[in-house]
Amino acid sequence: MHLRLIAFLAFVLVQTSPGVRAETAIVLNSVDESVSFVDTRTYQEYGRAPVCKEPHHLMAMPDDSAVIVACAVSNELVFLDPRTGTEQKRIKNISDPYQIGFSPDKAWFVANSLRLDRVDLYRAADFSLIARIPAEKTPSHMAFDKASQFVFITLQDSNEILAIDLKSRQTAWRYPVGPTPAGIHMTPDDRYLLVGIMGADYVEVIDWRARRTVKRITTARGAHNFLPRGDGRHVFVSNRTVSGSISLLDMQNLSVVESYDVPGGPDDMEIREDGKELWATARFARKVQVVNLEQKKLSHSIRVGRSPHGVSFISHAPRQ
Amino acid sequence: MNAFLTDLFVNTQGWLFDRLVQPALFALGLAGYVEMGFEGIEFVLMGVLELGIAYTILRPLEAFWPAEQWSGRKAVRVDVMYTLLNRLGIIPVVVFALLAPAFMALDGWLRFHDVIPRQLEDWLPGLDTHPLASFLIYLLILDFSEYWRHRLSHTISWWWALHGIHHSQRQMSFWTDSRNHLLDDLIGGVWFAGLSLLIGVPPGHFIGLLLTLRLVENLSHANTRLGFGRWGEYLIVGPRYHRWHHAIDLPEGKRYRYGCNFAILFPFWDALFGTLYLGAGLPATGIHEDTPEAITARNDFWGQQKLGLILMWRALAGRRPGSSAT
Repeated sequence: MHLRLIAFLAFVLVQTSPGVRAETAIVLNSVDESVSFVDTRTYQEYGRAPVCKEPHHLMAMPDDSAVIVACAVSNELVFLDPRTGTEQKRIKNISDPYQIGFSPDKAWFVANSLRLDRVDLYRAADFSLIARIPAEKTPSHMAFDKASQFVFITLQDSNEILAIDLKSRQTAWRYPVGPTPAGIHMTPDDRYLLVGIMGADYVEVIDWRARRTVKRITTARGAHNFLPRGDGRHVFVSNRTVSGSISLLDMQNLSVVESYDVPGGPDDMEIREDGKELWATARFARKVQVVNLEQKKLSHSIRVGRSPHGVSFISHAPRQ
Repeated sequence: MNAFLTDLFVNTQGWLFDRLVQPALFALGLAGYVEMGFEGIEFVLMGVLELGIAYTILRPLEAFWPAEQWSGRKAVRVDVMYTLLNRLGIIPVVVFALLAPAFMALDGWLRFHDVIPRQLEDWLPGLDTHPLASFLIYLLILDFSEYWRHRLSHTISWWWALHGIHHSQRQMSFWTDSRNHLLDDLIGGVWFAGLSLLIGVPPGHFIGLLLTLRLVENLSHANTRLGFGRWGEYLIVGPRYHRWHHAIDLPEGKRYRYGCNFAILFPFWDALFGTLYLGAGLPATGIHEDTPEAITARNDFWGQQKLGLILMWRALAGRRPGSSAT
């Protein structure tokens, strides 16, 4: 009897030990309107659940208490448990959210409506609408300055960066960039905006205070989105074409230091806490691609739903 | 097997995208349409796949169990052309390009003025997490809407001037489904986009809904004696049922003066709204054209496009359309 009890306790201990517990990666399938649950230990999809109409992006809450799915057509936010993917709540009447983000001071929640040319500013505390700002054409990704004074938004079809002053809730300025700007990222020193120029093959570096382009860093065709490695110095850039690749940029000397072949249209990314694996949703391959950053090559391809657009897990590296 | 077929489909889609669509979009400075282009290829591939299934099943039925014996299939050629234009995405792309900006502008204006159109899920919140139920309900709504669009296209004289092109085929086959005046296709697009805006048809269901409708429409136009039996004819629209809709001479009775059997998928709409007719036999199809131009246009794509516009203009100007349903 004692042996059985000891065996049972040992089993429970092993199952709940952080070292061996499987972790769930939540993957958003835009066209299938579902989320996939992937075991990060076995690299297998173990479940899938419908979520809402045309979900386009997901992001973790700043405190990692939830993963938010932005549902463009059903005008809502769906909050998922970041560990299990189970639904926590829904917030309705968030009009056509495409890309979403929180200001660093956590005061603002910003939703871009790519389809309807508009940026909505919400009070982050209760998701109440504060201002609607016209943003022609096709506001796509966003970044903030450290002081949370500005949100910078790429306008995909008018080839510009739009800066909105969060205090006055007015457009502050527009700045022309290369063709079809997509992802945008603020360097840790708060000095430069990095903009993925999807219609070409480079990242445009902008001194946003001077409103001046200081450099164009060639990565590969379809430069699209950013994810910081977590070391405060490097950032990944997904080059979203079918042949596809991911570049690693050094944000101090503004150059490409590494590149990995990642086929299938790599888009949104997530990095493991230990910095050893980079996960990327391959929009055009119905897969999540896993890059082993030690071996610098693709290690796993995980089948998920159609048009995967975002991946999140709780044990991620810092966002800087 | 499933994984193999999925990979085959995705790889074909990726190859077409990488070699054809994406380079063209980048060259034209339209990189913002990359995602749409990728999904467009899926739409076309699914259309081709559906057509392949329809051909594999329906062509033997037409050959070995026809409703009518024809001496040749020359008259079918123009319908094949319509079908290819449709399935290869050319007509849908044109319709989308013409309609999308207007509907986006309307939707954008509504949202900017704090009007978020109510959607079905606002009344039935569970639909978000029950995709099969959601699919069936949207299919039912879409079919209901299509019944009325179709019925109105027979009732309103200027609309009939366009839709009559679809009915002018005297050798009706599964290819005839896509034989529509381009303006009629555009109006159909406005109808569907309006409904989508009103109730929020889930984009994820879109291809499935369209393929279901197309497959049944291919079947219902097929030149075959296939019937679904006494009760089966009430369940789903089949070739015998729809043949009466295309009959060159309509059934007697005031309620059939604009036609009968307008349903696309489910016959109960006809039963509910008094337009059901389950006649015996397999009638000849077509319309009674009364001008030489109309007769010549039967097998001529551009002739049909021109004729439709002329007849529509006459109808709008209060003049006799030139051809009628009866």
